[in-house]
Amino acid sequence: MTRRYWNINLEEMMEAGVHFGHGTRKWNPRMAPYISAKRKGIHITNLTRTARFLSEACDLVFDAASRGKQFLIVGTKKKAADLVASAAIRARCHYVNKKWLGGMSTNWSTTEMRLHKFRDLRAEQKAGRLNRLPKRDAAMLKRQLSHLQAYLGGIQYMTGLPDIVIIVDQQEEYTALRECVTLGIPTICLIDTNCDPDLADISIPANDDAIASIRLILNKLVSAICEGRSSYIRNR
Amino acid sequence: MASLAQQFAGLRCPPLSSSRLSKPFSPRPQNTAFSPVVSAVAISNAQTRERQRLKEIFEDAYERCRTAPMEGVSFTVEDFNAALDKYDFDSEIGTKVKGTVFYIDGNGALVDITAKSSAFLPVQEACIHRIKHVEEAGIVPGLREEFVIIGENEADDSLILSLRSIQYDLAWERCRQLQSEDVVIKGKVVGGNKGGVVAVVEGLRGFVPFSQVSSKSTAEELLDRELPLKFVEVDEEQSRLVLSNRKAMADSQAQLGIGSVVTGTVQSLKPYGAFIDIGGINGLLHISQISHDRVSDISTVLQPGDTLKVMILSHDRERGRVSLSTKKLEPTPGDMIRNPELVFEKAEEMARTFRQRIAQAEAMARADMLRFQPESGLTLNTDGVLGSLTQLTPDLPVEGLDLSAV
Repeated sequence: MTRRYWNINLEEMMEAGVHFGHGTRKWNPRMAPYISAKRKGIHITNLTRTARFLSEACDLVFDAASRGKQFLIVGTKKKAADLVASAAIRARCHYVNKKWLGGMSTNWSTTEMRLHKFRDLRAEQKAGRLNRLPKRDAAMLKRQLSHLQAYLGGIQYMTGLPDIVIIVDQQEEYTALRECVTLGIPTICLIDTNCDPDLADISIPANDDAIASIRLILNKLVSAICEGRSSYIRNR
Repeated sequence: MASLAQQFAGLRCPPLSSSRLSKPFSPRPQNTAFSPVVSAVAISNAQTRERQRLKEIFEDAYERCRTAPMEGVSFTVEDFNAALDKYDFDSEIGTKVKGTVFYIDGNGALVDITAKSSAFLPVQEACIHRIKHVEEAGIVPGLREEFVIIGENEADDSLILSLRSIQYDLAWERCRQLQSEDVVIKGKVVGGNKGGVVAVVEGLRGFVPFSQVSSKSTAEELLDRELPLKFVEVDEEQSRLVLSNRKAMADSQAQLGIGSVVTGTVQSLKPYGAFIDIGGINGLLHISQISHDRVSDISTVLQPGDTLKVMILSHDRERGRVSLSTKKLEPTPGDMIRNPELVFEKAEEMARTFRQRIAQAEAMARADMLRFQPESGLTLNTDGVLGSLTQLTPDLPVEGLDLSAV
């Protein structure tokens, strides 16, 4: 596996507030090896571990992308929704930024049916056939379309289960994480001081609340994916 | 976690002893219930094998992270600890923080500050005036500004910010400056209560008592009108902002001549006289100035709300005091008490006669002065006004005095 240098800078991470954890009372004792100090009632994560895991995750992701694997980014926090969408579009991966519907991956056959319906509706709308229907039917179909666009908009081009899943907040996306574990899909997860580091395969201890920290970690991973993809295209 | 074990106990296939269980290092008791590839086996073998391979790569990576913790990391723990102090943030209530807005909503805006979590700016706190959406206050994504922390949201550790407090401070500062400069500003009346009306000035709500409102209208009539106002009291600690319309109008009407007759309304009665409102200023009609006859009780002659004509005796601009009199307007002494209407009718005549008498008296006084001091170079022109020689013959050279013009 190739080891590359990802520019993971201490100042950058601290400015984004990656080292802040949750309050002392809310911690998960399993996070003890990743916590370095306690300040003003909140835990501080050890950024050396963060940097290590992040660089490792970037390497893995770069490798996988250069072999043409599919990624899925899951982030349903309201604050981070736009960020996840823009990052995924930049890296050309699939994403879920509205609610993760239960069984999206374990019940993939049903999700696929919905995706087909979504695709057909989109085709109909593009062809303009919706305007020829009576007003009520057209309104119903448009509503369905907007609903599907909101929830499945990010995975509309997905043909099968993804190969690697990146999850932004473990507490929030617990269902998604568990589904991936049941299916055996390798996961990369952002862990805060109140999460369990043993659930995901690679857990990056970081701050999952501040938008700047999520942005930083996602940007690093996304740049790794982009580079991997470009090398995949070159070596095809 | 126990519920998970129960769920997996219901599966028909026994849990595969995956490589996870044989790992000696981390105690993962709950993972014995997590059979990773049980349900996936049935789906597709090629895919599962791929995934297994990928998973193994990930496991190796994790192992590597554990065994070589500093590989690929460009800084050390000491650097990190040293830099901790530099990036500490203060989340006390009342501190100012600089932040960038990155998302706006119907309820407010999310602001990114260097802290544990992003902060929220509710729409009520974005501006002093009442607005429906944060955009009206000029808050758009990407705006970098200073906010003040007013509270903390316990549920998600986010801070609540406000722009209002900063704006309030600025508004009070401006009001103080305006008061010291003594300017007249326009304020819109938004409401009224028992003692007066409330007007909005510089975004702050100020009180104008009825006694300080010049026009004789009730609160409803004044609503939504712009009045010129001056500051009477600006006290930030007690949140008192008192304004006056009367003072502002008084400024604009400072041209009341002495000796002129004006109509006024009796505002209030005091033991020593009555306060008459003439065109915006309150003037005092002293009890001794009402009539030549002695008036023992004011309420026999005047009542609050009476209109009457008064003459201005003197006008003290600095203290805003005007002294009035009706005595001078009485054709015959004692008329004010007996027959007020007669006094009012004759008021104009009396005022004119009074002025003439004053002018004559002044002329006499100046003539006397001239007689006793002829060398002072002053003369009396046709109007009876003392003036210097050169004014009479402007074409004469200034140096040469020509006594022929005397």
